[in-house]
Amino acid sequence: MVLARRASRLALLLLLLGILPAAPSSAGPRLTHEYDLKAAFLFHFAQFVQWPPEALPEKNTPLTIGILGEDPFGKSLDEIVANESVGGHKLLVRRFQRLNQADSCHILFISSSEKGRMDEVLSRVNRRSILTVGETKDFAQRSGIIGFVVAEKRLRLAVNLAAANVARLRISSKLLRQSEIVGPLRLQE
Amino acid sequence: MRAPRTTIGRKLVTAMMLTSTAVLVLAGAVFMGHDFTSFRGLMVSRLVTRAHILAANSTAALAFQNSDDASQVLHALATDPSMIAAALYDNQGQLVATFPAGAKPGAVPARLVATGHRYERSRLSVSEAVVEEGKRLGTIYIESDLRELDERLRADGIVLLLSVFGSIAVAFALASWLQRGIAHPILALAEVARTVSEGKDYSVRSRAVGDDEVGILSEAFDQMLGEIQRRESQIRLLNADLERRVNERTAELEASNKELEAFSYSVSHDLRAPLRHIDGFVELLTKHAFASLDEKAQGHLTKISAAAKQMGALIDDLLAFSRVGRTEMRKTSVNLASMTADVIQELREDAKGRLVEWKVEELPTVQGDPSMLRLVLVNLLANALKYSGPTKEARIEVGARAQNGEIVVSVRDNGVGFDPAYAHKLFGVFQRLHASKEFEGTGIGLANVRRIVNRHGGRTWAEGAIQQGATFYFSLPR
Repeated sequence: MVLARRASRLALLLLLLGILPAAPSSAGPRLTHEYDLKAAFLFHFAQFVQWPPEALPEKNTPLTIGILGEDPFGKSLDEIVANESVGGHKLLVRRFQRLNQADSCHILFISSSEKGRMDEVLSRVNRRSILTVGETKDFAQRSGIIGFVVAEKRLRLAVNLAAANVARLRISSKLLRQSEIVGPLRLQE
Repeated sequence: MRAPRTTIGRKLVTAMMLTSTAVLVLAGAVFMGHDFTSFRGLMVSRLVTRAHILAANSTAALAFQNSDDASQVLHALATDPSMIAAALYDNQGQLVATFPAGAKPGAVPARLVATGHRYERSRLSVSEAVVEEGKRLGTIYIESDLRELDERLRADGIVLLLSVFGSIAVAFALASWLQRGIAHPILALAEVARTVSEGKDYSVRSRAVGDDEVGILSEAFDQMLGEIQRRESQIRLLNADLERRVNERTAELEASNKELEAFSYSVSHDLRAPLRHIDGFVELLTKHAFASLDEKAQGHLTKISAAAKQMGALIDDLLAFSRVGRTEMRKTSVNLASMTADVIQELREDAKGRLVEWKVEELPTVQGDPSMLRLVLVNLLANALKYSGPTKEARIEVGARAQNGEIVVSVRDNGVGFDPAYAHKLFGVFQRLHASKEFEGTGIGLANVRRIVNRHGGRTWAEGAIQQGATFYFSLPR
């Protein structure tokens, strides 16, 4: 009787310990800063987008996240991506100043510093299987694939599905649910 | 034979019903217990599956911190009324969305990282990791009430109850039908036993057939009955034979007894004639020659005369005794009280000059031959009077009492009494305990009493001691 009661008490205790949330300090810094959030989003794009096989020919081909122009993320993107992999492909962050260097990456964040030559940049990469991400105004409408949009103090996404099609990228419907679809459904060839 | 309080059939049905009901209830309880646990397991796995589906749908919402979409994903649960609450947490354990939207604080855990399931009093909660491409994005929490389990149990209970009642009804019908095969031979046997014990009729047979113990019992019972019947008829034959032989012997005895009596009667009768001659010629001799005889011869003559007279009295008594045995009995009602009074009146004449106190209690009316019973009373009362002669104040009491289906009459005196060692000789013919010089008499009176009482179906006996009086009893059947 006593034993049984003790055992059930122990079980309750274990249950409580299991259910209790982990202390916040052990879960790392909270993503509050805008670019921390954007960095995390960049990482998550790798999870919800499927590249054509020729873009990732080998199992060990790294999945590269490129930053063109000025890097607004600081250390946070490197921290998030460190030791992560998606579908067996290690994640890699590379920073470019010149456009022709960016041909081999899979996700390309085009910094606001490149606002002046945005159309040139996009028209150069839009036939390659590169997920272009930008934060300039109407990035997606201007045939970028995913644009960050801040609305009501929240970070939202705008997706140009036609541009994604041209790049032969398949964006998960789950991601699309979170996004606003912009631009024509199919970009004129 | 007493009537049975219950029947074997009822007992059999009860036993079968109890067994089947116990088995049913036990099986039902096991089934329900098993169903309960397995359904609990099923509920958990279903809830886990649902959590997985929701988790798969909410990965992007968590990844891109879209709490609106997360709420929308959770809102899918609204179609199922058994879902109480749900919540999504990011990979820091922070609450992102709840169901119902804007649930009260406390309805769901404020923070959650751990996964697993948990049963509480009236609900089941499940928490699962939300994973996309191997990367943990957060946690989903779903809470369901147990109405499904309750409904399941209720349905099980109803089905069980119905099947138990139905099975009991079927079991009762089957048991009632099946018990006949067992109970009927036993009932038949019991009926035969009753007939035998009540009617003493050993010719009945159970003739119950069966391959079981009852069949054996019945067969053995029939064999026993046969044996009893055989022995009974044997006993009957023996009895009849015995009775016949007793009758034969009795008839023989009676015949020889009659012969003997006839003989003694004729002897007595034939002795009277020569005796009368002796007496007559002694009398003539006395009349003619008494004076001429000397004194010694006179004495002889007197003694011859006395002896002849005594012998005559003896022969008369013997003839009377013989008659008592031979005379036909004429039974009527006899009032002993008035008869006793008559006899005493007669005897008073003989007792003149003596001081005698007669005391007669209430006496009944009996069935018997009046003249014979009168002889009994005369003999007993005369004896009492005679043997109380030497007593100064004689006391004679006559009484009667009923006992053991008989009427016992007693005659008590305070006379010389007798030695109880010779009590058995009192009622014999010519048996005298006192010298005839002391008390005159032939010694045949009590023999007459015994013979008469015996002929009436009664008994005689006496109690007494020397110089302490005597009590004579005779009994008559009522």
